[in-house]
Amino acid sequence: MIVMLLMLPLLGSLLMIIRPAIAPLLTLVIAVASNVLALQLLQQISEEGTMQWLLAGWPAGLGIVWQAGTLTALLILLTTVLQLLVGLYAFVTHKRDKLAAVFWPLSNLLQFGLIALWLSRDLFNLYICLELLGLVAVALVSLAGGKAIKPAINYLLLSLLGSLCYLLGVVLLYGIHGILDIATLASQWQDNQLSYIALLLMSGGLMLKAALWPLHLWLPGAHSAAPAPVSALLSALVVKGPLYILCLIWIKLAAVQQASAMAPLFIATGMAALVFGGWSALRTPFAKTMVAYSTVAQLGYALLALGFLLKFSHPLFFAALWLFVLSHALAKAACFLAIGEISATLGGKRLTALKGASQTMPLAMFAFALSGVSLIGLPPSGGFLGKWTLVQGIWQHQGQLLWMLPLVLVTLLSAAYVMRVVVLTFDQAKPVAPDFAPKLLPQWLALVPALAVCGMAFLSEPLLLLLQADAL
Amino acid sequence: MAELIGSGILYYLTSAGLIAIGVYGFITGPEILRRILALNIISAGIFMLMIVLAYRGGANPAITTDATILVDPILHALVLTGLVVAVSTTAFALALLARAKRHADASEQP
Repeated sequence: MIVMLLMLPLLGSLLMIIRPAIAPLLTLVIAVASNVLALQLLQQISEEGTMQWLLAGWPAGLGIVWQAGTLTALLILLTTVLQLLVGLYAFVTHKRDKLAAVFWPLSNLLQFGLIALWLSRDLFNLYICLELLGLVAVALVSLAGGKAIKPAINYLLLSLLGSLCYLLGVVLLYGIHGILDIATLASQWQDNQLSYIALLLMSGGLMLKAALWPLHLWLPGAHSAAPAPVSALLSALVVKGPLYILCLIWIKLAAVQQASAMAPLFIATGMAALVFGGWSALRTPFAKTMVAYSTVAQLGYALLALGFLLKFSHPLFFAALWLFVLSHALAKAACFLAIGEISATLGGKRLTALKGASQTMPLAMFAFALSGVSLIGLPPSGGFLGKWTLVQGIWQHQGQLLWMLPLVLVTLLSAAYVMRVVVLTFDQAKPVAPDFAPKLLPQWLALVPALAVCGMAFLSEPLLLLLQADAL
Repeated sequence: MAELIGSGILYYLTSAGLIAIGVYGFITGPEILRRILALNIISAGIFMLMIVLAYRGGANPAITTDATILVDPILHALVLTGLVVAVSTTAFALALLARAKRHADASEQP
């Protein structure tokens, strides 16, 4: 099953390069099949517990270990679901938006890289997955051609620097311990200066790749320059890959003292990301750039939860961290698809182009507003669930209640930038041509992830059960 | 013996120097080609560190011809993989740069 999950997109993308004519249809078939497989995997793992694979039968230490807990299974399911939705959206709109034919094989390679990354438990193998993910993401950004090339190069250079930092950290860790497998490494972990430096190097590289504040400067340019389906994939999934590895090294590897020394830094940068990302989102005149800055801000929540997790090591924070990631992925996909659809239909990249969109394109606007509900953290939504879990965790530690105040402030900030758009769309619409008929299907496709993120609120119990502390 | 250890340190220092030169070039160099080259120098430094680390254990077997000395094969495999990755990323970056140049030329023409 796991082999099929990886081989389908890989072989599919090769086939698509040879036969471009069948690429769109093949992508959808692969996405549907992967969804079925991912659901089966999640069901199997939630019943039987964590599964492990040794590649080619080599034991850990010589070979590469793959492991899937409930979190990995959830992330794989998230990847395949978003791949299917975005694939459908691209299938419906690719003729109108002149989407390059290379999109199809690249999106399949992206799926392959992500699934391998969620599974891998070997530091060097993770580096390869990261590099694969970075290259595919840059290629996808450059699909928009013309003006997108410059942000793409910028993204590529910083992404490569990030991977090299990570690689240097891995080499140092190997120099100290002589092992790359994460589970074995954790059991032999030496708590010294050099291992701390290695962890810091790896974190720096990963934070650069995950666009965590203050290393986020490449993200708004790259994500807003890309075509709408690509932006949705990048914002929803690609930045989560490095974040996942960051959690892996700090939760699994680092000694307790090292982790708790790092916690204030993560909390501070998470807070700063929320404030500055939210502020930039509030100020920018461009619609897609606003959504991209909102990604920077929302990643702050995840980092904040990671900081609290390292500080108090309470399982609630772990659940909060991944609830934020899951809800943000769904909400951001809905956001980008909705904004992309509105921009493509009404024309114009500025926020002012959205004026009156609630009358001309109510469905897409509803999708944006629903995902905004999750970004703000209003019930019922996945964002609310994550925030509730985070606050619940803080509540259980006396003396930490002061943290509520900045949390309220950043919530208001995110409400401000979402409301700015929503208010704008209730203005009087510009008169439209009499034959104005926006496509309905793409708008429905944007609505599906938005509805899913609201649905997360009603699945809170199974989700919290799946995200227990040993899920990683 | 001291001489041998000394030359081992030399290798570490060289790789650290390569990484430092690369990082400096990456930060200062305004041209994209220069930055791509700087990234290549950083990766050369990291690969050199990997190779030097593979020869730990003996005093400094890096310059002996004694075949009985154990050399860590995993690091060698990693360097090979890393080289493949570095070559392909460089090729991709250069291709992207060429496209950016074509685009800049095309927008200047009319």
